Amino acid sequence: MSRNLKSRLKRLGGALALGLGVSALAAGAVTPAYAQERVKVEWWYALGGRLEQIVQSLVTDFNASQDKYEVVAVNKGNYEQTMAAMVAAYRVNQQPTIMQAAERSFLTMLNSNAIVPVDELMADQGYDIDWSDFVAPVASFYMVDGKAAAMPFNSSTPIFWYNADHFKAAGFDKPGETWQEVEKQLYAIKEKGVSDCAMALPNDFYWSLLENYSAMHDIPFGTLANGYDGLGTEFIYNKSKVLVGQLDRLSRMMNDGVLQLAGQGMSPEQLFTSSKCSTIVASTAAHAGVEAGAKFDWSATVLPHEEGVTPLNTTIGGAALWVLKGKSDAEYAGAAAFLDYVASPDVQVSWATQTGYVPITNTAYKQMQDEGYFKEHPTREIAIQQLTRTEPTENSRGFHFGNHNQTTQILVEEIQGVWSGQQTPQQALDKAAARGNEVLRQYEQLNGK
Amino acid sequence: MASEATATVGGASAPPLAAPKRGRLRLSTSESGLKAAHFNNTGFAVALLLPQLLVLLFFFFIPSYKALSLAFVQVDPFGGRTIFVGLDNFTRLIASPEYRESAWITLWLTLAQNVITIGLALLFAFATDFVSRGRGIYKLVILVPYAIAPVISGVLWAFLFNPAVGPLAQMLHSFGVPWDPNRRPFDAQLLIVVASVWKHICYDYIFLVAALLAVPNSLLEASRLDGARPIRRFFTISLPLAAPTAFFLIVMNFTYGLFETFGIVDAITKGGPAGATNTLVYKVYQDGFVQLNLGSSAAQSVILMIVAILFTILQFRGIERKVNYQV
Repeated sequence: MSRNLKSRLKRLGGALALGLGVSALAAGAVTPAYAQERVKVEWWYALGGRLEQIVQSLVTDFNASQDKYEVVAVNKGNYEQTMAAMVAAYRVNQQPTIMQAAERSFLTMLNSNAIVPVDELMADQGYDIDWSDFVAPVASFYMVDGKAAAMPFNSSTPIFWYNADHFKAAGFDKPGETWQEVEKQLYAIKEKGVSDCAMALPNDFYWSLLENYSAMHDIPFGTLANGYDGLGTEFIYNKSKVLVGQLDRLSRMMNDGVLQLAGQGMSPEQLFTSSKCSTIVASTAAHAGVEAGAKFDWSATVLPHEEGVTPLNTTIGGAALWVLKGKSDAEYAGAAAFLDYVASPDVQVSWATQTGYVPITNTAYKQMQDEGYFKEHPTREIAIQQLTRTEPTENSRGFHFGNHNQTTQILVEEIQGVWSGQQTPQQALDKAAARGNEVLRQYEQLNGK
Repeated sequence: MASEATATVGGASAPPLAAPKRGRLRLSTSESGLKAAHFNNTGFAVALLLPQLLVLLFFFFIPSYKALSLAFVQVDPFGGRTIFVGLDNFTRLIASPEYRESAWITLWLTLAQNVITIGLALLFAFATDFVSRGRGIYKLVILVPYAIAPVISGVLWAFLFNPAVGPLAQMLHSFGVPWDPNRRPFDAQLLIVVASVWKHICYDYIFLVAALLAVPNSLLEASRLDGARPIRRFFTISLPLAAPTAFFLIVMNFTYGLFETFGIVDAITKGGPAGATNTLVYKVYQDGFVQLNLGSSAAQSVILMIVAILFTILQFRGIERKVNYQV
């Protein structure tokens, strides 16, 4: 039995060491930072890879441009992880001043009661921002009653990327304008043996191939103007024959081996840049990666649409910068200075040219046109042209659904049931809408006035 | 959690390990040893216990209390608005076909993982004695997976079996197997089981090798003299003597399957396709930390906690009686 005692003592020793370690850690965490002349403004962002480097250089430039504030940019993982980290931090009053949140969490942030509307912040700090200068679909997404709730930052929209070498080899100049033509071309690419994978399915296909598809074709995704007019909105995407048809097309193409899932551990964009797949529908922000990685004659064009339809504008993706409650005046002054800097035309031009995101103000867009940037890089203009090609309707303005991440996850899960042949597109969309509506009602119950 | 349990095991498997050296004569003295471990000075005992109690307080009691308090409310992620909803979170879960599906999946995956892990580990442990050349390498190959972080091994598995680029998937395709864990639910489940078995086998192996080594040589020699062949000796002598260890491993494998395959699921399938590998604990994470649906996530973790407690009680009561701890 003395062995038993020994093991117990060992256990106690281990726990003691662990306990000490934990308390040492805690002590380290609460030690106040030494007072410095510059006011530190913390910013949590969610961009990785090449984009992260560009974010860091943006921050370095801002810090060098003045001597009052120091923005400290911290990467907290992807959008979901950053959001979870921020929520946890907020509950214990350790939140950053500025937070980058994806467009999908717009309502969550807006109704959180944890934010200072950017419009209010800028007015308080004496900055005059001309919101009418912001590109229409971007502005209308983040504006509530004519006031900006957040500062649009990285805004994108999906475009159609293609491998021009593969298209030539299959006997085509470029992709067709309608889905009917594109579909024929993709099947030809496969049948002529040009490529095993004519199209890669993007991970955010719900955004690029369904939500944007419904916006372009003026199909309501939900009632009450896709949620813009109230929390009582309900999903009705399952009632549109056209949208069900689109999912049916994707499913058929996948069964015929024309459309490929990258699956876990592989990024679909990589399948395109490595020239394994001939086409992909992906965000314009993929420019940073494609320009750096693609070793073939690549190009891009607008998203295809159905025959006999004049397509509307597409909707934005990406993220915005939100300012959180509970910080000092000095930090708010720093945050306002930084947001003002981010929205300034020069910074916008440099951000857009480096990343591939769209310039968010008309002035910045104009400046890029004047510099002749788009003549040299024609694919960079596709996104902004597509976003602004028509006046947004109720169905093409964008989507304001509560718990949008959660309902999207449900939609993806049900659609995976189509990929695996367990259910038809109609069944999947019916189930997704029914389950999604439950989530919307829960959100309404909690946030309804 | 794991380290604590490991320490308990030390206690549980100690008697068979210690038995051959001590023999029967010393049994009575072990009683006095127990008494010597009694502290007269309560203050000192408390001081020794304190760190452990603090760890339990911060990593078990406070989180459990939080989970319980959140399980009966709808709350916005920022903690601003809270609505008491009674048992709504629970009834909603039980009424949800997805949740019941997830429970079944977890049960089957855990059972399969448990049986295969302990079966293979037993085989490898049994075979250790018969590996005469390169026994070090043999052990190393089995033990190495334990040193690899679950997420990294998960990423490797996902890559190796990725239908588009994975070399092993290509091999399966060339044999005519329509392997695709991204679309075929069964393939994904199989991949998760294989990856979690591979990751956990060494854990079982270490314990089983130790347990088999502790089998008194005198008994084995006696049976050899009686003409028993290796396999017979294994089943009639070694295995019954290793039963307490095996029992402990079954409990540990269940805990591993229920709670710790999380990293592997996250790296290999993210719960897909169509929820085919969405285990209960992965769902807690998804709903709570990704979807920020804290009420439902808390209710799920309370259910899991109850299941884990019931499970452990049942196992100890039901199986322990039939397990012989004495030599």
